[in-house]
Amino acid sequence: MKIIKSAFPLVIALFLTYAMNQSWGTLPPLGKLFSPFHGFWMNAESPESGEPTEETLQIAGLHQPVQVVYDEMGVPHVFAQDDHDLFLAQGYLTAKDRLWQMEFQTHFAGGRISEIVGEKGIASDQFQRRMGSVYGAEKSYEGMKEDPMAKNALEAYSAGVNAYINSLSDRELPLEYKLLNYRPEPWTPIKSALFLKNMSFVLASGTDDLKMTNILRKYGREVAEDLFPNYPFQESPIIPVGSPVDFKPVPIPAGPADFTGLGSSMTTPEKDPNIGSNNWAVAGNKTVSGLPILANDPHLTLSLPSIWYQMQLVAPGVNVYGSTMPGTPNVIIGFNKNVAWGVTNVGSDVLDWYQVKFKDASKQEYWHDGKWKKTTMRIETFKIKGKKEMVDTIFFTHHGPVVYLSHEKPFRSNIPVGHALRWIAHEKSQELTTFYQLNRAKNYEDYQKALTFYSAPAQNFVFASNEGDIALWVNGKFPLKSKQQGKYLLDGTDAAADWQGFIPQAHNPHVKNPVRGFVSSANQFSTDPSYPYYLGWQYAPSERGRRINERLAVMEKITMDSLRGLQNDNYNIRARELLPLLFAQVKSPTSAQSKAIAALKSWNLVNSPESVGATIFENWVLTLQSCLWDDEFAADEKAPMNRPSMDRTIQLIKSEPSARWWDDIKTKSKESMSDIVMKSLQANVDTLVKQHGPQGPEWAWYKHKQTGVRHLIPGMDALSRLNIPIGGGGTIVNAATTKTGPSWRLVVELSKEGKPRAYGVYPGGQSGNPGSSHYDDLIDTWAKGELKPLLYLESADQKSNRLRKKITLSK
Amino acid sequence: MSKLIYSIILVVIGALVGIYLPWYAMGVAFGLVAFVLNMPLKSSFLTGFLAGFVLWVLSALWLDLQHPSTLPSRMAQVFPLKGNVFALFVLTGVLGGLFSGIWTWAGARLRQK
Repeated sequence: MKIIKSAFPLVIALFLTYAMNQSWGTLPPLGKLFSPFHGFWMNAESPESGEPTEETLQIAGLHQPVQVVYDEMGVPHVFAQDDHDLFLAQGYLTAKDRLWQMEFQTHFAGGRISEIVGEKGIASDQFQRRMGSVYGAEKSYEGMKEDPMAKNALEAYSAGVNAYINSLSDRELPLEYKLLNYRPEPWTPIKSALFLKNMSFVLASGTDDLKMTNILRKYGREVAEDLFPNYPFQESPIIPVGSPVDFKPVPIPAGPADFTGLGSSMTTPEKDPNIGSNNWAVAGNKTVSGLPILANDPHLTLSLPSIWYQMQLVAPGVNVYGSTMPGTPNVIIGFNKNVAWGVTNVGSDVLDWYQVKFKDASKQEYWHDGKWKKTTMRIETFKIKGKKEMVDTIFFTHHGPVVYLSHEKPFRSNIPVGHALRWIAHEKSQELTTFYQLNRAKNYEDYQKALTFYSAPAQNFVFASNEGDIALWVNGKFPLKSKQQGKYLLDGTDAAADWQGFIPQAHNPHVKNPVRGFVSSANQFSTDPSYPYYLGWQYAPSERGRRINERLAVMEKITMDSLRGLQNDNYNIRARELLPLLFAQVKSPTSAQSKAIAALKSWNLVNSPESVGATIFENWVLTLQSCLWDDEFAADEKAPMNRPSMDRTIQLIKSEPSARWWDDIKTKSKESMSDIVMKSLQANVDTLVKQHGPQGPEWAWYKHKQTGVRHLIPGMDALSRLNIPIGGGGTIVNAATTKTGPSWRLVVELSKEGKPRAYGVYPGGQSGNPGSSHYDDLIDTWAKGELKPLLYLESADQKSNRLRKKITLSK
Repeated sequence: MSKLIYSIILVVIGALVGIYLPWYAMGVAFGLVAFVLNMPLKSSFLTGFLAGFVLWVLSALWLDLQHPSTLPSRMAQVFPLKGNVFALFVLTGVLGGLFSGIWTWAGARLRQK
């Protein structure tokens, strides 16, 4: 009894220790986290100051020592003596700044988030794996391994990441591991493949086939085709109209029979439609220097740590600077002595759904081409934090995985149940070879050859060289389809609905040194309808592309700074066109409405941060679309539909003022175009007053838009930067929206002497550590529309007052 | 020995243990010290609390001075302290103190048969 009494406090102490060493729901382990010898206090890093520092680190596996110098932005400039050491150092240095992000993003891509966050991650994990992310990565890794260079690069990169992981003690772990209470696992080449495949998820997984089929079922083919045309009312395609075609097209397959699928069912969120990008290159005859200048700003979800990490990679045969993606070797967007390149996404349709007819509940066989064919199965095992393992079976037809069976609830509302997925991301591919070769490209021919290895996600690769060439290839692996094939759900039993091979790579849309003196892309249609192949029916709205092309057409004596200006252009060409049409419909407005109209009439059509006009206009577009279309196209929650595009609405206002669509079918009376415009104006003003009070400075565009760069852990506002004062918008060249925007801005001017000059910035910082001054130090520069000069070194010993730190990696 | 001397001994031992061993080793060490030195039971919790509080606050303060960064104010938002860094230091001290106090008390109590 006495012993029990004297041991009682010990029991309490042991229990307390246990409790403070554990996560409780979202509460981190308090003891471990707050101990100044082990927890978050250890993660603070002071900004470098004064004299450059030098240190030597031992890294297993290096052939020769590698010199690394860091500049004032925290960009490592890496000087290695062979490719192996270069990639090993890239892996090591990237992990040093971004390990948690690399692992978290590949865990997400591979459907393994529930290993970190427990049960609440399961639905997302299952969706990732059912879409075939792991399957695709495995296929892709198979393809990459066929090129010995890519295999060596991936293995050296992994060795570098692992050298860093192995050097870490618990107390040195990145902050997020301490908050979420887990440890990094070894890196493997398949993780790099997962990361690359995830880019297809981010950029080429949009799918409206189900919604289009719901429309087809309700309104018939004629209406569907009228409201959702295969080429927009207004466009300025990437390949200039009238560009010569330098290939003989292969025959186009006969289309499948008309098919009206079963359509669907449920409601859940879907992907953000605002992901897009801009790039262009101007020829020497339009620039002050006489040499081409290239500019690129890929738009992605803005996140901290940033998706990009700047590096300069130097080894025999290569000296390249640009932005890399943590998790994968090489520079993705950048320049070397002779060339520069950039990318924007291609909105081609590379994802189709096939309605599957199973023989019976066992799902062992499915009907195709007049025969019962065998399905294959793939078993996926989910480890769930704090729970037992879960096992899931995925059925595959020859098309691909049946993502959800007929009785299952999909993770997103645009995913049809009972359909097999045919998706380019499941193909064997060699993207690494493309980037390896681009990093070393000397001229147009090298660039062109590099692109032949690239599959997905398809990109508009813009290019410029110091030989004076500018070019753009709409590049990727595109299925050879009949016109509109895959616009709607397809019949999985009809062999004619299958993909019938691929468009030969040399036939991809491309243009070199066009007479207009520039090439550009902003995710709009790749070509006008004269291009012999069908790539897709729906691309990003044309406004950004039209604005860029109208500016570049008139700009002369171009400098890097004038292109920086164009990247930050906030002019709203949609407002220029739409506002006069809307003003003409305004009848007897209330005083609040008159005030809003007055603000619009005096607005300079620029979406500047402080603009009130921009807020009123952008919100009006939303309420107009909603008032016009929602009665017909958003009435049934169980059958989600697309809304016709703004482009189609403008066409309707201009040329179909008495179309049946103007009437609000939910009311007894019959509405005219003017009635709907007034109704939308009322809704517009009402919502703005409700959100921000009476019209005034609180209606400033940036306050309404709320652009933020958010930490990868959802809801982690303390590690995010919110409410950033930046203008722009989704259809503005400066494409900063609430959650997406220009994720990296680059402007490069090439030089005959091999001394390119470049400027760049991204909304984040080099370090992934929230305790570092480099965590978010570039955001303010980015928001102001400024760029940082990029330091392009010739050798490791080159003097520069911008160098802060020197590290020697030795074996 | 006075409470203060005990506390100073604990702070020194806690710092050494903290540098080389996992975070919870500090508690076990405090329990052992209290046991071996036969600390007075009555004041044991307070002695330990004081040592843990002072050690964690001073170490955190030292780290923050060595490496000034925005991390403390961010962490004071991760934990709902409205970005108040002073409150974050106090919380650090209280957690260190509570943990140390209980272990010191446990060690002292075990000695009292």
